[in-house]
Amino acid sequence: MPLIQVKDLYKIYQMGNVEVRALDGVSVDIESNEYISIMGPSGSGKSTLMNLIGCLDTPTSGDFFMDGVNVATMTDDELAHIRNKQIGFVFQTFNLLPKSTSLRNVELPLIYNGSIKASERKGMAISALERVGLGDRTHHKPNELSGGQRQRVAVARALVNDPAIILADEPTGNLDSKTGEEIMALFDDLHQQGNTIILVTHEEHIAAHANRVVRLLDGKISEDVLTHRAK
Amino acid sequence: MKSFFWENLRIALSELWAHKTRTILTGTGIVIGIIAVSLMSTLINGVDGLFENSMKFLGRGNLYVEKWPWFGDEDWWTLRNRPRIELEMADEILERSEYALVVATERGRSANLSYNELSAENIFIHGVTANYPEVSTVDVEFGRFFTGSEDRTGTQVILLGSEVAKTLFPLENPLDKLIFAGSKRFRVIGVLSEMGKFMGAFSQDTQVLIPMETFNKIFHGPWGMRRITVKVPEDHVEDAKEELRGVVRVLRGLKPGEKDNFAVNQQDSFRQTYQGIKMAIGGTGLIITALSLLVGGIGIANIMFVSVKERTREIGVRKAMGATRSQIQGQFLIEAILITATGGLVGLIVSTAVSLAISKFLFPASMSFGIAFMAIGLSVGVGLFAGLAPARKGAKLDPIEALRYE
Repeated sequence: MPLIQVKDLYKIYQMGNVEVRALDGVSVDIESNEYISIMGPSGSGKSTLMNLIGCLDTPTSGDFFMDGVNVATMTDDELAHIRNKQIGFVFQTFNLLPKSTSLRNVELPLIYNGSIKASERKGMAISALERVGLGDRTHHKPNELSGGQRQRVAVARALVNDPAIILADEPTGNLDSKTGEEIMALFDDLHQQGNTIILVTHEEHIAAHANRVVRLLDGKISEDVLTHRAK
Repeated sequence: MKSFFWENLRIALSELWAHKTRTILTGTGIVIGIIAVSLMSTLINGVDGLFENSMKFLGRGNLYVEKWPWFGDEDWWTLRNRPRIELEMADEILERSEYALVVATERGRSANLSYNELSAENIFIHGVTANYPEVSTVDVEFGRFFTGSEDRTGTQVILLGSEVAKTLFPLENPLDKLIFAGSKRFRVIGVLSEMGKFMGAFSQDTQVLIPMETFNKIFHGPWGMRRITVKVPEDHVEDAKEELRGVVRVLRGLKPGEKDNFAVNQQDSFRQTYQGIKMAIGGTGLIITALSLLVGGIGIANIMFVSVKERTREIGVRKAMGATRSQIQGQFLIEAILITATGGLVGLIVSTAVSLAISKFLFPASMSFGIAFMAIGLSVGVGLFAGLAPARKGAKLDPIEALRYE
């Protein structure tokens, strides 16, 4: 059974009299330990698909199974639990809490996990920071870190709860190309270690890191191919 | 769930610490509100205690036949022209009334007292019958009360109120000393226990007691207080009052239809008047102070809305990391309650200090546990009330919108 199974997914917005079909019948399966890029121009529906896969939104119709559980019909709080346990987000703008240290930022998903004791959190957060090479920056606040370091903290935060998927939305969009490559190397590593990674991007060279590229156009999948890396 | 409480408390503390000035300014509204409410309640309690203390000077089962009513809105001139109370009626009252247990008479006026070089001016000379201790709370601290025969024969003996005794006899034992009241000499036979002030104003300790007949012999003329005090069973005060009115009307020869030309006073009329005043002043005061708390609460609600708005993005991040609605709501509620509870605590400390000062310099007004409890409860309640709407607003935010918020 695939890790993510999307069947006939529709997301339709009503803007006055105009019906906007952000997703117009999308079906896609994603296996565990895949490294996949979702591409497409703005307005193609890639953000909508990402929000649905990230369990931040629910579809107008269609089924969306994560690990065999249908997420499409869940309530807000159930979605919050799925996000906490199954998904690690990495954002273009990092979205770290500015007044908190790296350690506190990385601890955040563990706090909402509910089954992890306060005493265990710190160790888990430190080891996640060590995995991204920031073991010596635990007590720095975001404004004391470089852009690349901030994104590493965000990656550590995405990893710490050991989620099923790491969902990265334009993770290099706010970084210079050299730092961007470093972050991509980090994702490559994480994939090697067995994580499932979904990249949302419009840059070909970023997408090329993945094993598979799904292209969206006008709310439909226009192309779903394996890259040379997969071979 | 418990871990979220501590987590939320931690978040709230660091948020409030990060906005110290804002926190102090908004909290001040609550501090003022709590000071006002708790001081107001403390004062009402203090006045209540003062009143109850005073009431024990007037026996609950006592009826006082007097020219002037204690309370009422009758025409002053009508009252003024009433005949004065004939104290001779006392015996007839005792005979005719079913309820009367004891009937005592009292007269009073002021005069100056002196002993050697020491003098006490404007002392209330209270002429009473030998049965006066049965209708009042006077207590002889040392010495003795006068006897019936001393009263009948008009013996010049005197009992001193505790203050008077201290003024005239700062060092000596007053017993058996001769003092002057006006131009007459009296032998001190006793000193009364300290009784305190009536309604915080008229001291009972600056009076002296002399036998009624002695008073009559010395002080002629119509001036001064005179009344007949009738002790009746406490559980029949109202019936006894009606009966007493009837008896006095008969003795005065009033025809049916004619108005009473005397008053029958009782402790209850004090109580009723006091309750009315207390309701009016205390009630209004509490409403005004509660309004100040409401204003403080609105300030908190306002700042919480600002805080939710400012932290929209943070809320988005927390939601993406798996925070549920109730966790976000709890975070902002705890923040609001933390401001108000701290404000309440500070207010309570200030008003405790103020009430200690009041009871030291003005009158007994102690902050009770009940009031402290109420103040803390109120401030937490205001925080809950003020924080709820902003917290719900934050909790309901759409995570996608919130993450995009600039």
